[in-house]
Amino acid sequence: MTHETATAAQPFVMDTAFWTATVIFLIAYAVIISEKIHKTVIAIFGAGLMLVLKILEQHEAFHLEEFGIDWNVIFLLISMMVIINLMRPTGVFEYIAIKSAKLGKGEPFRIMAIFAIVTAVLSALLDNVTTVLLITPVTLLIADALDVDPIPYLISCALASNIGGTATLIGDPPNIMIASKAQLNFMDFIYHLAPIVIVMMVVYIFIIKLIWGKKLKTRDDLKQRIMSMNENEAIKDPLMLKKSLFVLTLVLTGFVFHGMLHFQPATVALFGAGLLLLLSNTHEPHHVLAEVEWPTIFFFMGLFIIVGGVVKVGLIKWMSLQILDLTQGNMFATSMVIMWFSAFASAIVDNIPYVATMNPLIVDMARQLWPDLSGTKLLHHVDLMPVWWSLALGACLGGNGSAIGASANVIVVGMSEKAGKKISFMKFMAYGMPIMILTVVISTVYVWLRYYVLKI
Amino acid sequence: MKAKDLMIPLQEYLKPDTTLREAANLLRTAKRNEERIGVKGLPVLDTNGEMVGFISMGDILNAVFPSYMSLMNLGDFTWDGMVEDMAKKAGNKKVSEVMTTKVISVPEEAPLMECVDHMLKNNVKRLPVISKDSKVTGILYERDVFFAITKSMLNENTGGIK
Repeated sequence: MTHETATAAQPFVMDTAFWTATVIFLIAYAVIISEKIHKTVIAIFGAGLMLVLKILEQHEAFHLEEFGIDWNVIFLLISMMVIINLMRPTGVFEYIAIKSAKLGKGEPFRIMAIFAIVTAVLSALLDNVTTVLLITPVTLLIADALDVDPIPYLISCALASNIGGTATLIGDPPNIMIASKAQLNFMDFIYHLAPIVIVMMVVYIFIIKLIWGKKLKTRDDLKQRIMSMNENEAIKDPLMLKKSLFVLTLVLTGFVFHGMLHFQPATVALFGAGLLLLLSNTHEPHHVLAEVEWPTIFFFMGLFIIVGGVVKVGLIKWMSLQILDLTQGNMFATSMVIMWFSAFASAIVDNIPYVATMNPLIVDMARQLWPDLSGTKLLHHVDLMPVWWSLALGACLGGNGSAIGASANVIVVGMSEKAGKKISFMKFMAYGMPIMILTVVISTVYVWLRYYVLKI
Repeated sequence: MKAKDLMIPLQEYLKPDTTLREAANLLRTAKRNEERIGVKGLPVLDTNGEMVGFISMGDILNAVFPSYMSLMNLGDFTWDGMVEDMAKKAGNKKVSEVMTTKVISVPEEAPLMECVDHMLKNNVKRLPVISKDSKVTGILYERDVFFAITKSMLNENTGGIK
């Protein structure tokens, strides 16, 4: 009998292992929230404790999907980072940003709206952090050129990146994790999340027009500064740009068809990264590889092991029983509790550890509800699907709730401060929290209407 | 030969709350020996005369140059008068915001070899020289070290330098 069937059939025991794992988990998460020690250090140390105290055997942590590191998430992240790192020096991102500013004809609000849309689209196709790293410096430059306050631009880009990232499997880490755990493919996300994200973006542009539309003013001679910039000068390596765009197109096409072709998303991304490395003729791959955000990658790996520990001892199962108890097995109520709780939790805590915990919790919950099912029959149960989408919407959009809610916000605030424009925690929240609540309200209506009324 | 033998005694210095505008003016007109020809760096001293930082031309250029420019390749996207605008804005910053706080300095009694070692390893061209009671007594310049060292290379002083 495998361990899995044993835990599904019998109630768990609150033994020493249970309490040890629970304490490690709680302390690790508390320290991550407090930011007293770097989150990656705590994640790795917590994972080490789970192994050395024999809560998890090493082979369980390294090789079992149930308790261990989700290599699909790890390799998808690393591969996408490698592709972007190879693309950056070509100047394509500078080109896109300058071109966008010129499309705005130097009009401050037009530029803000176009930047928000470009950020949202890029965030959906790349990841949010990369997108804001690319868009923030140009935003600061454009604001200086127009002699306008850059802060509204920066906040609106950060918020747009979190909204846009919600739309696709690769847009935001929570979606990557959910896709892997729930075995959902790229097109599932496009079909279920992208439509409502487009609606949110339309509403969002309308809102930022109300907030900032009239306040942003510049002079005609300053607009000329933007219009006289030549975006073509940004392209430093046209040949590599062509290779990069070829590989990126291939990878995105691969994502569209990966479900049909029975490839995991990480397979598609890893192939793309390998191909672009080969085409780049680089003899120094260590530069490209060194730029991978290893602290983030190790943060994921450590968390997977910590969460694996509390899954094994039954804490997660206990938590899932509490939620079922609360919602009395009503799936609409469950979806709503998860969406709203996820939104506020993600505004306070990093959404990565949050989703790492919620994923196995939802799987456990499904096992309680439908004990006879397994595999995709269980994971894709018609009553469970809205729960996954609610988790994705809540966790991704919740990131907008505060300056620390999403990595993209942290980066924008940090870069802005470095440029001498400090965005206070409260200032970010004053815009972020209402936008978060508004987008989650839109999500609530959407989930209710689509999955519980229209049932499509 | 020791640091104190080659240093130029401290003549001018900056305070942390001085504006960059005043600091730049002093750098341009500071005394070097008897001439007012300007210097490329000055120590920043607090009210007790203890060194809290050092400011050099590079620090001032960094304060004018927007940090976002180096984050991406944005050098092609500037406009006429950009540097002048940035310089005007940076003029109001305080010396304390811009100065280097981890200053490489040497004691008065430091042998010349040790001074050269600091200059090479940390890529600095000026070393503040500190007395036993923690006061800055002078600045040791790369140029003066160069002349002292090359003297022996050119055999002008057969006794060599110790």
